[in-house]
Amino acid sequence: MVHQPSGMTRRQFIATAALTSGAAAFGAFVAPALGQQPKLVYWAYQFLRSSDEARVNFAQEWAAKNKVEMQITLVPWKEFMTKITAAIQAQATPDIVESGGVELRALGQLLDVTDVYEKLEKEHGGWLGSSSLYMREPDGHVHHILYGLAGAVVIARKDLLAQAGFQKPPETWEEVLTQAKKAQQIPRVYGIGQPVSNQTDSNIWEIVMRGYGARLADEQGKKVVLGDYKREVWAFLDYFMEVWNAGVLPPGVTTWDNTMNNSTYQSGKAVFVWNAITISLWLQENNPDLLPKTAHYAFPAGPKGRVWDVGYASRSILKYTKYPDICKQFLLDSMDVKKMDQELSVSQWAPVLKSYLPFEVWNRTDYMKGLIELATKGNPEGYPDVFNDAWREQNTHTTISRLLQRLVVDKWDRDKAFAETLEVLNKIYGKYA
Amino acid sequence: MITKDHSIAVPRPLGTAVERKRAFWSRHRREVLGGIVLLSPALLILTGLVIYPFVYAIWLSFSDKMVGTVAHFVGLKNFRYVITWPQFTAALYNTGVFTVVAVMCKFVLGMAVALVLNQQIRGRNFFRAFLLLPWVMPAFVVYLVWRWMYDPLQGLLNYAMLDLGLIQQPIAFLSTKETAMPSVIIAHVWRSFPFYAISFLAGMQTIPLELYEAAQVDGSSRWQQFRYITLPSLYHIIGVVVLLTTIWTANAFEPIYLLTGGGPSDATTVYTMLVYVMGMVNLRLGEAAAVSVLFLPLLIGLVLVVTGLLQRRNDNA
Repeated sequence: MVHQPSGMTRRQFIATAALTSGAAAFGAFVAPALGQQPKLVYWAYQFLRSSDEARVNFAQEWAAKNKVEMQITLVPWKEFMTKITAAIQAQATPDIVESGGVELRALGQLLDVTDVYEKLEKEHGGWLGSSSLYMREPDGHVHHILYGLAGAVVIARKDLLAQAGFQKPPETWEEVLTQAKKAQQIPRVYGIGQPVSNQTDSNIWEIVMRGYGARLADEQGKKVVLGDYKREVWAFLDYFMEVWNAGVLPPGVTTWDNTMNNSTYQSGKAVFVWNAITISLWLQENNPDLLPKTAHYAFPAGPKGRVWDVGYASRSILKYTKYPDICKQFLLDSMDVKKMDQELSVSQWAPVLKSYLPFEVWNRTDYMKGLIELATKGNPEGYPDVFNDAWREQNTHTTISRLLQRLVVDKWDRDKAFAETLEVLNKIYGKYA
Repeated sequence: MITKDHSIAVPRPLGTAVERKRAFWSRHRREVLGGIVLLSPALLILTGLVIYPFVYAIWLSFSDKMVGTVAHFVGLKNFRYVITWPQFTAALYNTGVFTVVAVMCKFVLGMAVALVLNQQIRGRNFFRAFLLLPWVMPAFVVYLVWRWMYDPLQGLLNYAMLDLGLIQQPIAFLSTKETAMPSVIIAHVWRSFPFYAISFLAGMQTIPLELYEAAQVDGSSRWQQFRYITLPSLYHIIGVVVLLTTIWTANAFEPIYLLTGGGPSDATTVYTMLVYVMGMVNLRLGEAAAVSVLFLPLLIGLVLVVTGLLQRRNDNA
């Protein structure tokens, strides 16, 4: 058989084949990637439905307008740290998150957004109240952008208080107790629907204690000084024991979770609760009969002054994002005045930028008015203590509520319980010193 | 040996390359290598899913690992910290009490229900299927329902008892030191006992009826039949079920987290709650791992006690 030489040498054949394969690979993998939209993963904070929907809708519209593929997941606050912990460990982090700004900043997980902060400050005439204190770090850097302030207000049954002869809001914690005792109708309605448990809503008692003049640590937030404030702590404990012995707290408060004060008030079983205005927003939709009977007051003062902690809601960018500039643009656009006007009218947040003050929503109801008061008069969490990692850890440990439980559950004497509290605080602060 | 070309073939001395190759691939070696190849998937899975996480957890306990940070060796610092933590002793005690009492209750209740459902009763198949309901329901739902039932203000139990005049004041089942742990155990037993009952029932159905008939002929009582036929026949099933559930119960997290959050005070704080707070809330993985490692002897001890008891029983039999 005669070999018929083909028109192509072996070398030519290999070269052609290689080129063809390369072109095919380019077509299959590289070309679509070049034309692909940037993809962002956005973990939005889940709490109040109307507010959640407003933020999700905006994100979707923004993504469509900016040709960005946006994957949005609503994450409840309680689950956030668990999820983000796993995501960081698995190196599969989202790009933008709406929770844990301070915690993630402390862990060095966030992108520096000082430029976004400064741009917003300039465009909106400045930040309101404690907002900048939450963002600006001692070295001037910023790693998360606040979009709302929140805090507890005193929510009260004004109908029951009026029946008991009280027309004015309580100015001090002592007055709260006096009014609660007279207005409650046990066993249907209890005076104060507030947890004394191992859940963070119980930290309200720590705020009360600071109103009695005590503080946990020194000016630098490094050394525990609560032991120097024994007289103030004792005065606070006297007050708490009076509350406990008066029977104004419903049975079961020592194991309440963070939803129980909400549900107790919403079902009409408490005269006073101290909570964010989410209760009122819920009543508006679900129990409109109770809303007109509800009043919203500023936090009462202790013997040493008023302490009114303000919390925050913020957005931050994980440092692992492939699209830092697009994420920063999203953060900037999310604070747009027109957009925030709509969003704040269906949310529980107090304003963070001065340009939001003229919004009509703040005049709509007394509890929305109260948010302006909260934003301007409230103090950063922990005040006069420094809001740092040590303070945050003792806060999640509910240290002061545990002190109270040692007295009323375990029946320890004050000195023993106080010694344990000091030991716990020293251990926690000692780790961060 | 003389070859065709009349030359003398000299046998190849042993040790040439070919011989060495043959010797290397001897049957024994081939079998060993084949065995290794066949075992390697299982070994890889075991290493990846069991040994690595276990060793890594131990390493974490000796480190200052926080979420997203590089771990540094800190020696016994975490252990010193958690051992002197005020809730640690309570967690140790509560974990022991919760595990032992819950496992005992589940055993007794599971056995009783299995005995009933092993009888010829009307609707037996329905009840057998119905029995599984608590077990198949999500733990989250089960414990939230129990939480509502226990609630002193809006709960079913208090409503019923107040209406019946059994109590004058609502009882905060989950919120007093005396009632919190028993209440959590009751809810947990309710959710978990079907596993015992179904396993024992399956075992009872394999026991030959002739044994019971012979015992009846010999005049043995119901108790004697249970004691000398049913129990010994279920022996291996009891062993496996008790062993597994001892581990599961000691590691239970949902009942405590959802019902009491470890309170009131530290009355129901178990070690999994400590691990959760240190690892997931405070993000200090090193401390959380140290708690887990410190509880390892307790868990191993519980398992050894159970297997020891069963082994002794086996030897006697």
